[in-house]
Amino acid sequence: MTATNRTGAPPVRDHSAKRRWVGQSIRRVEDPKFLLGRGGYIADRVTPDTLHAAVLRSPHPHARIVRFETAAALALPGVHAVITGAEAAQLCDPMPDFGPDPARHTWRCLAAEKVRYVGEGVAVVVADSRYLAEDALELIEVEYEPLPAVTDPERALAPGSPLVHEALESNCAYERSFDFGDVERDFAEADVVIRDRLRWHRSGGQPLETVGAIAEYDPGTGSFTIDTNTLSFTSYLFMAAATLKVPVNRLDIRPVPAGGSFGSKLFANKPAVIAGMCARKTGRRVAYLEDRIDNISNCDHHGSDRVYDVELAMMRDGTMRGLSIDVIDDYGAYIQFGVGHHGNALAQVVGPYTIGSVRYRVRAALTNKNQQGAYRGFGSEVNNWMLEQMVDKAARELGLDPVAIRRMNFIRDFPYFIPTGNVYDSGDYERVLDHALDLGDYAHWRDEQRRLREQEGRYVGIGVITAQERSVFSATEFWFWFDEPGAPVTSTPESVSLKVDATGGITAVLYSCAFWGNSPETMVAQLVAEEFDCSPYDVSVVYHGSRDGLPATGPGGSRTTVMLAGAVEGAAVKIKDKARRAAAHLLEITPGDLEWADGGFRVRGDPERKKTLGEIAIMLHLFKHSFPEDVESGLDASKVFDHPYTTMPSADRKDLGVFYPFVGHACHVPVVEVDIETGAVTFLHYAAVHDCGTLVNPRSLAGHIVGGTAQGIGTALYEEFVYDEDGQLLSSSFMDYLIPTAMEVPELIIGHVETPSPYTPHGIKGGGEGGRMMAPAAINAAVNDALAPLGVRLTELPMTPERILAALRAAGHAG
Amino acid sequence: MAPETRTISLTVNGQPHVAQVEPRRLLVDFLREDLGLPGTHIGCEHGVCGTCTVLLNGASIRSCIILAVQADGADISTVEGLAQGGEMHPLQDEFSEKQGLQCGYCTPGMLMRACEILAENPDPSPGQVREAIASNLCRCTGYQFITEAVISAAARMRATKEEAAP
Amino acid sequence: MKPPPFAYAAPTTLEEAVGLLTEHAEAEPRVLAGGQSLIPLMNFRLAKPGYLVDLRNVAGLSGIRRDGDVLVIGAMTRMTEVERSAEVAVAAPLVAEAVGLVAHSPVRNSGTVGGSLAHADPAAELPAVALVLDAELVAAGPGGTRVIPAAGFFQGPYSTALAPDEILTEIRLPVWAGGHAFTEFSRVHANFAVVAVAALVELDGDGDRIRRAALALAGVAPTPVRAGSAERALAGAPAAGAEALRAIRAAADAAAADLSPAGDLHASPQTRRGLARTYLRRGIELAVSRARNER
Repeated sequence: MTATNRTGAPPVRDHSAKRRWVGQSIRRVEDPKFLLGRGGYIADRVTPDTLHAAVLRSPHPHARIVRFETAAALALPGVHAVITGAEAAQLCDPMPDFGPDPARHTWRCLAAEKVRYVGEGVAVVVADSRYLAEDALELIEVEYEPLPAVTDPERALAPGSPLVHEALESNCAYERSFDFGDVERDFAEADVVIRDRLRWHRSGGQPLETVGAIAEYDPGTGSFTIDTNTLSFTSYLFMAAATLKVPVNRLDIRPVPAGGSFGSKLFANKPAVIAGMCARKTGRRVAYLEDRIDNISNCDHHGSDRVYDVELAMMRDGTMRGLSIDVIDDYGAYIQFGVGHHGNALAQVVGPYTIGSVRYRVRAALTNKNQQGAYRGFGSEVNNWMLEQMVDKAARELGLDPVAIRRMNFIRDFPYFIPTGNVYDSGDYERVLDHALDLGDYAHWRDEQRRLREQEGRYVGIGVITAQERSVFSATEFWFWFDEPGAPVTSTPESVSLKVDATGGITAVLYSCAFWGNSPETMVAQLVAEEFDCSPYDVSVVYHGSRDGLPATGPGGSRTTVMLAGAVEGAAVKIKDKARRAAAHLLEITPGDLEWADGGFRVRGDPERKKTLGEIAIMLHLFKHSFPEDVESGLDASKVFDHPYTTMPSADRKDLGVFYPFVGHACHVPVVEVDIETGAVTFLHYAAVHDCGTLVNPRSLAGHIVGGTAQGIGTALYEEFVYDEDGQLLSSSFMDYLIPTAMEVPELIIGHVETPSPYTPHGIKGGGEGGRMMAPAAINAAVNDALAPLGVRLTELPMTPERILAALRAAGHAG
Repeated sequence: MAPETRTISLTVNGQPHVAQVEPRRLLVDFLREDLGLPGTHIGCEHGVCGTCTVLLNGASIRSCIILAVQADGADISTVEGLAQGGEMHPLQDEFSEKQGLQCGYCTPGMLMRACEILAENPDPSPGQVREAIASNLCRCTGYQFITEAVISAAARMRATKEEAAP
Repeated sequence: MKPPPFAYAAPTTLEEAVGLLTEHAEAEPRVLAGGQSLIPLMNFRLAKPGYLVDLRNVAGLSGIRRDGDVLVIGAMTRMTEVERSAEVAVAAPLVAEAVGLVAHSPVRNSGTVGGSLAHADPAAELPAVALVLDAELVAAGPGGTRVIPAAGFFQGPYSTALAPDEILTEIRLPVWAGGHAFTEFSRVHANFAVVAVAALVELDGDGDRIRRAALALAGVAPTPVRAGSAERALAGAPAAGAEALRAIRAAADAAAADLSPAGDLHASPQTRRGLARTYLRRGIELAVSRARNER
């Protein structure tokens, strides 16, 4: 248990200052190289002397590995190595694992004794080209002893189920029930309890670029250098050093731009470990670049896969009292992040409503599937969907209007502490709702809905959902699940170094960050420009590798912009402090008589006496003897910015503390038509209003809202990793894993509301995940609204034509 | 025994090339590795996502499901050939202006497809653009700002043409 | 996902191409047309031909011409050319409509008519079109040329009447005077069809009755199938008003009842049958409407 208990919120900030750069939709500084085809992605870094690895994947969902015949593969000209899982277990330790019991649900880069899902790697070949490596894969003979497989999470939890990890003696990797607030009283006093069972099937980020790594091992220094499109470097990826059996300061992981992530590259360590292992074994530079089938079947980043049994305790007038949630989450064959996804749920479990109590029972089931990882929302989007389904069901059962029932339960006073202990820092939910209904032309579409049903027999539905988008996670959400956590970590820092060169030009160094489609360079450039009154296009932003980088956690939970803002601010304070004292010395005045303005320090009341940052910098760089003895040459500073608002959970876990304090909010209003003969769903209109505090680059955030909504459309209607009863992955390529095209995504009418956070620089909150955190809930609501006259309600995602038609048939409508 | 190779001659971005390739070498790998043009990216290698789109004799093709030997005698255009004399093509510039890219991975293929779209129809409606770019998946943008970029690039290209030949 | 190694030739004459297929029979040779179906299979390593005979340089296999009441399309004609052809738009608008639904236009730029027919994907559009038009497919082999009626050409999933050393050279499509409609249900725009329907109707002199109908479905059986019972039910049926709608609905119901489609992750057998019924009805209605409007 940690020694220090931080109490209280950070100071409330004054956001009244006029901003010059923050809030401008400038062109992104990153763009030119990508537009010119010089992006420098990992696959672009292959050199003629690089060897290529290919992984042999298991065709069985569950099987013992009996025997390998690798001689023919090794004999193929151009093949340099064949490493089986058994040998890999000697060369490498298990993968870094934040799960509940890594010693007993051990995860390795290649399966050693048995395979646990279709697609799990069992061997790797290294050859002169990927073509040859794949030729060699076909020459490897593997004898398997198939075992019974389990792919249904409830069956996995039932007695007698095949065990995914015998050492665990169960397929339940974690089970616990939490009570927050007075659940018993709220349910006892309720007029009615709304009940439902809901099923959310797994989808995943599936960026167009897969994960890849290029590794070199230097036997002289015993060091690995690995270029890979992972996005988290210094703070946690150092654990990959242990996997590769080298000291941490002998592993340098270097960032490259990533072609999308959506969470799936947050901690992309397995390809790096495989490439590293192969580099050390062959003594050569080795690239392991996943192909699409590797990535779909073996990526370690499938999304949430949940069965919910929920009860919502209500008063007849629509007041929400309490929530009881029983959720089973199918984690697949490993559980690298533990049940952290449920921490994301608990951060905003009551949504924007004054629900007073919550019971949360979570069971993590292991099955013969690829494991879960991170997918935009990280489990909070599922909670949003579940809660909004319950609210709409409550509205229907109580005969209340779905907009009115939400409005009457809105939280209005901030900061607001929800039953779990987390805080919502600020918000104005009414304003967002009203704006969304206006942009969504709600009244018009209600009229249209009626007219189209009566006159043309068409089924049009409108969804109105109001939900939260939390940002900036604390480390506590990964361990407050245990009374005696093994590693109760409390650091989730982000660091920035700012260097002012002798000409006054500024370079910002980022440490656990890479570019993945968000715009960290543009964010930092705008933030630095705001601090120093320069142009964002004059700021140089570089990414630093892991070995000698400052502590930094990387993107996740929409934390990056807020944390970079804090780090930039902190480094800027230090630089301005030194610059002020230097300017004071040069101007022969006391530091207190100077004020920062227009890119330099000037004497208060005598603005002609001034020194620009450039003038100060050249002196500090080159003219040491012009300053007092204690002044060091140069003008640079770093800030390690730790999470600004984390409080510890109580010992009894009835209060989890503050762990996700900067909470935004959104309202989505889609209008859909359901073709009840085919189960096809089309969009007639879609309005989305988001409030994630002050926006650094509004156009950029709007782009993330549209993109996130597009992924939400995929989750709601098209995308699913389908495993059949025998454990075969049926959607193993893009032919069957269906990503929305431009014709499936409507034009979005986007509105922004900005309720600043009182606690962050400029009042920024994170918002990159928001679109996907809302869309599945909104679209399900719209479909249900369309089919309500037929007595049909969908409670399972994705709402494929098959599921919609089956529901219609079950309700007596021929399909 | 070294694998059998074929000789192919083709033009890429206006430059003639003669090369020896294995028949099984995919065009995308030939462009990226043999010709040092890594701007064309690989997304799926089964012809669904369109990330690898280039123009072959002016028509868009998916270079991950075309063999290099099938491009013998062809005139190929890739993203590297779009900018001329240090100036970006209007499509490239408008993609930046409208933020029609986020991670940039689908962007080269999308740009080449957009070239073909505008060559066939210099004045498309947003609906027509959206339907035409449905051939190329984007996982980041949700397609809206891409559509806006193509529309505004089209307007610029029409204006330039009118100025040149009133 | 790289293809396995193979030997390769790009002959310049049909005789040479056929000769290579015969000569290298033990290598399990395949013909390479546009490659839009074959190369993905090879990238998946589901197809591993030891020899690829590329038809790109063979003269005389491409082109569209009208030969009296028959539209002749060379097997190597790219789908985009068919899609844009004025000749096809007039003589076989059903073909133009169907080709426009094959994947996306980048695929159609390379893909060929012959390639799609010879590949014989049970859900593909062009085989259904060939079947509904009672087309003739012309093949060249070591023994010479033969004409294969569409009804006997498609034998199973990805399986045709072509011998391993035969090459499809052209397809002959009878010109159909009447209304047409090609409609399909796919889950995502331009994705492969779950169910597709090719509908042709010919009206009598007054346009009040259907003289004859030809209907084919893809995606509901191992090969494309004709909806014979529906065709018979529609012969003589009304073409206007509520009676027409009733007759069309009855015909679609009858045809759907004949089907025993397989299920997959996208649609159960029951859903496929329901989609077939729906798209037959919609397709016939559209074809009739077009036939009436053209008068």
